[in-house]
Amino acid sequence: MSCELKQRERPGIINPIFTCQPCGAQYASIGIKDCIAIVHGGQGCVMFVRMLFAQHFKDSFELASSSLHEDGAVFGALNRVEEAVDVLLMRYPHVKVVPIITTCSTEVIGDDIDGLIRKLNKKLLKEKYADREVHLIPIHTPSFKGSMVTGYDVAVHDIVKAFAKKDKPNGKINLITGWVNPGDVTALKHLLSAMDIDATVLFEIESFDSPLMPDKSGFAHGSTTIEDLTGTADAMGTIALNKYEGAKAARYLESEFDVPAIIGPTPIGIRNTDTFLQNLKKMTGKPIPESLVRERGIAIDAITDLTHMFFADKRVAIYGNPDLVIGLAEFCLDMEMKPVLLLLGDDNNTYKGDPRIKAFQEKVDFDMEIVMNADLWELERRIKDKEIKLDLILGHSKGRWTAIDNNIPMVRVGFPTFDRAGLYRHPVVGYEGAIWLAEQMANTLFTDMEYKKDREWILNVW
Amino acid sequence: MPYHTFKCSECIPDRAMHAVIKGPGEDLTSCLPLGYLNTIPGTISERGCAFCGAKHVIGSPMKDVIHLSHGPVGCTYDTWHTKRYISDNDNFQLKYTAATDMKEKHVVFGAEKMLKQNIIDCFKAFPHIKRMSIYQTCASALIGDDINAVAKKVMDEMPDVDIFVCNAPGFGGPSQSGGHHKINIAWIDQKVGTFEPEIKSKYVINYVGDYNIQGDSEIMIDFFQRMGIQVLSSFTGNGSYDDLRGMHLAHLNVLECARSSEYICNELRKRYGIPRLDIDGFGFEPLSASLMKVAMFFGLEKEAQAIIDDETARWRPELNWYAKRLKGKKICLWPGGSKLWHWAHVIEEEMGVKVVSVYSKFGHQGDFEKGVARCSEGALAIDDPNELEGLEAMEMLQPDCVLTGVRPGEVSKKMRVPYLNIHAYDNGPYKGFEGWVRLARDLYNAIYSPIHQLSGLDISKDEIPTDKGFMTRQMISDVNIIGDGTTPIEERPYTGEWDIVTKLRGKKYPKLESQQQLGMV
Repeated sequence: MSCELKQRERPGIINPIFTCQPCGAQYASIGIKDCIAIVHGGQGCVMFVRMLFAQHFKDSFELASSSLHEDGAVFGALNRVEEAVDVLLMRYPHVKVVPIITTCSTEVIGDDIDGLIRKLNKKLLKEKYADREVHLIPIHTPSFKGSMVTGYDVAVHDIVKAFAKKDKPNGKINLITGWVNPGDVTALKHLLSAMDIDATVLFEIESFDSPLMPDKSGFAHGSTTIEDLTGTADAMGTIALNKYEGAKAARYLESEFDVPAIIGPTPIGIRNTDTFLQNLKKMTGKPIPESLVRERGIAIDAITDLTHMFFADKRVAIYGNPDLVIGLAEFCLDMEMKPVLLLLGDDNNTYKGDPRIKAFQEKVDFDMEIVMNADLWELERRIKDKEIKLDLILGHSKGRWTAIDNNIPMVRVGFPTFDRAGLYRHPVVGYEGAIWLAEQMANTLFTDMEYKKDREWILNVW
Repeated sequence: MPYHTFKCSECIPDRAMHAVIKGPGEDLTSCLPLGYLNTIPGTISERGCAFCGAKHVIGSPMKDVIHLSHGPVGCTYDTWHTKRYISDNDNFQLKYTAATDMKEKHVVFGAEKMLKQNIIDCFKAFPHIKRMSIYQTCASALIGDDINAVAKKVMDEMPDVDIFVCNAPGFGGPSQSGGHHKINIAWIDQKVGTFEPEIKSKYVINYVGDYNIQGDSEIMIDFFQRMGIQVLSSFTGNGSYDDLRGMHLAHLNVLECARSSEYICNELRKRYGIPRLDIDGFGFEPLSASLMKVAMFFGLEKEAQAIIDDETARWRPELNWYAKRLKGKKICLWPGGSKLWHWAHVIEEEMGVKVVSVYSKFGHQGDFEKGVARCSEGALAIDDPNELEGLEAMEMLQPDCVLTGVRPGEVSKKMRVPYLNIHAYDNGPYKGFEGWVRLARDLYNAIYSPIHQLSGLDISKDEIPTDKGFMTRQMISDVNIIGDGTTPIEERPYTGEWDIVTKLRGKKYPKLESQQQLGMV
C-alpha cells in the first residue's frame, strides 16, 4: 500500500496531455474585455489554439498573429509586431488591451518585445492613437518551458501586474479562478452572492457560453474590465483557487500591495468547497448562510445515494490540469473510490512539495501512482501491459481513444472536452459541481454496465 | 476596376488587391486577386503555418507511420484531433501522435541526442509499426538540429525501420502551402524509388492529393479498382508508407488536389516520365468525366461507362430531389484551397445553389484563376480572408449557408447563417456519386433546419406564431414546390446507409483478380 510519485522516464511524449505555454496565455487574454492578443510567432500558434477554443466552447474567439515568416526568423521580426499592433488598432477601434505573447520561435531569435513596447508607447501610441486608451502587455511564454498551465499562470500575473494600482480599499475580494469553464464561474459567483460578497472575478468568462441572438450580437467574449484589473490592488484579499493557475498573481498582489492571499484549495467536492467557504468567511467576516447549508445538504443527499452502493473501490485514473486532477482525486477518495493513477502533464518540479500530494503519499491505503511530466502513453501503456485495471477514467477529450479502445468508461472533465456536448456549461466546483461530477460518473458507469451487459440487472431496481 | 475594397480594410492599402467581384463580361485576366503573399500581421487572418501544411495536412493521413514532431509539445498537440482522415488500419494515425518535447536545455545545448532516444522509444512503444515521419518545427529549425543525420543513424542501427524527415518549420512560407510544397519534394527526394511494391495489373496509377476525409479516398479507389486499375499508392489519404515509396512504378498520376500535391506529380513526370492527369472527384458530371479520362488513358472506357451509368441511375434521383429544393439558395464557399475551384461551378450546376463568394486561405493565383473562371457573375473572391472581412462579406451577401471550417463556422453561426464543415465534413464522404448526394443532403439539412427559423425571432418584439408545435424541413423547403406533377416519382431523399466506407474494406475486385490469375500482368 503506497503512493509512488514518479517522472515519465522517456524523454519524449506520445499523446500529450497539455499543449504549450502560449495557449495558456491566449486563454487568459480572451477573458479580458476589449482585448485582442497578438501572438508573436508562426501562424499555427494562433490558428490551432483558436480552433481548440472553438472546439471546446463551440464559439469563436479573436486572437491575432504577427505571422512570422522566413525573413523574420532570419532577421528578427519586431517590425511584424509593430505592424500587427497598428493594423489591429486601426481595425478594432474598441480594443484597449493588447497582450503580446511570445512563442518558442520568437524567444529563440531573441526579439525584444519589452523594448518594442516601450518604443510603441513613446511613438505609435502617442502619435497615432493619442486619444485612445491602449495597453500593450509583454507576456513571455516560450513553448519550450512549462506548459499551457504555466503559460496561464504567467499571463494572469503579467496582466494583473500591468494594471493593479493602489487607490482606496474597495471592499471587494479578488477571486482568481484558474483555468475553468463558464459553468464554474457561474457556480462560484452563486456561492459569493449567497454570502453577499462582492468580488472581482479573474476572469469573467461566463459570457464564453454565449447566445445566438436574433440581432446577431451574441459573440462570445470575456468581460473582465481594465477597472476590475486595476482594482485588484485595492481588494481586502485574494483567493486563488488553483495553486498552479493564478497563484502567481495572488502572491504578487500580496507582496506588492499587501493584499492577503489564500491559495487553494480547488473547491472540487464537498470538503474542498467547505474549505473555500470557510476561507471566504475568514477573509470577509461574512457568515455562511442557511441557503448554503441546504445546498450542501442536497449535494450530500445525492452523493449518499451513490457512494457505498456504486462508487466504493472503483479504480479511477485521472489526468489533466494539476489542480483539477488533485481536486478530483480528493473528491473520489471522499466518495470511497480509488484514484489509482494520477497523471500531471508537465515538468513542474514543485509538484513534489505540494502538501496535497504529500497527503496522498502519507495517507492512501491502496496502491496509487502519481506520474509527473506525464503523457497519455503513461496511461495507455499501463492498461495494455495490464499493470493497472481501471473502472473509470476522468480526463479531457484528448484521451478519448484510450478509453474507447480499452473499453473503459470515461467522464470528460477539464479542457478540452470537444467530444461531448456542452460540458463547459456545467460546473465541477462548488456543491453544484460535486453533484454534477458524481452523477456524471454514476450515469457513465451505469451506461457502461448496460452496453457491456455487466450486471446490467442491478439498475432494474434502485 | 473589379477589385473590391472592404470597409474594414480601407485602412490597410496592402489589402487592396486581395478581393475581386466578378462583373458582367469581366475578363479573367483583369479580375484576379493577389494570392500567396506574406500575411499582413494583425489582420486576424485564418492562415495556418507551414508545419501544419506538411505534418497535419499531408503527412499525418499516412496510416502505418509514427508521426513524430521534433520540437516543443504544442505543435503536436495543436495539430492532433483536428481532422477526420480515417484509415483502414483502425485509425492508427488519428489516435497516436508524438513529440520530442524540446525544453530550454535542448534549445541551448541541442536536441539531437534526445531526438534519437525519442525515435527508439516510439518504435518500442509500437512494435508493429516500422515506419516514421519526423517533422521539423520552428524551434528545431532555429537551433539547427540535423534531423536527417539522426534519422540515418537510427536506420543504420535498426535495419527494419525506415524514417522520413520533413523539414518544414512553421515560419517557412506565407501559409500552410509552403509546407505542402516542402513535404512533396522531401518525399520524392528521400523515398520514391526505394521500394518496389507488387504490380498486379496492366493499369497502374497513383491516386494523389486526397486525404481520405471521412473515406473520400477509399470511395474513389473503389471506382478505379472496379475498372481493373491497380491503385499503387494513395498520396496520402489512407496511404501506406511503403506503397508511397513505390510511386515511381505507376503508369499514371491521378491528381485531385493540385494545390497541395501537384508538386510531386510534376516531379514524378520530370524524373520518371509518369504523366499527370488532373481530375475532380466531386459532382456527377466532373466525376463521370474524370473516370472516363482515366479510362481513356488505359482503354477502359467500357468499364468506366458501366460504373457511371450504374451510379448515375442509382443516385441521380436523390441528387435531383435535393437540387429542386436547394435551387436559388446562396452559399459562401470558403474552404482552405482547392475546393474553391473543385466546387465553384459544379455545386451551382448540379444543386442549383448560387456561389456568391469563394475564398481561399492558402490558395495561389492559379487557384483563383480556376475558381474565378468557374464562378458566376457577381461572385466575391477573397484571398487570405480575415475575421472582419468575413463578417462584412456575410452582411453584404446574406448567404443561406457558409461552407467552411469549425472556427469560422462558429462565427457564421452567430450571424444566424448555418455552416457546413467542409474541412472535416459533416456526414461525408462527399466524393463519389453517393458522396455528392450526401453533401446535398447535409446542405439541405443545414439550410432548412427549423432551428434557423426560430433563431431570427425576437420574442420581446416580434409576432410569434403560436399555432404550431413543430416544423419539419420539408414543411419549409416545399413551400414553393407545388404538387404540380413535375416531380418524377422516382425522386427521393437520400436512402443510403450512415457508414458507406467500412463495407468497402476487404471487398473483392474481379477485374483486378482475373488479371493476376490469367497472368496478364
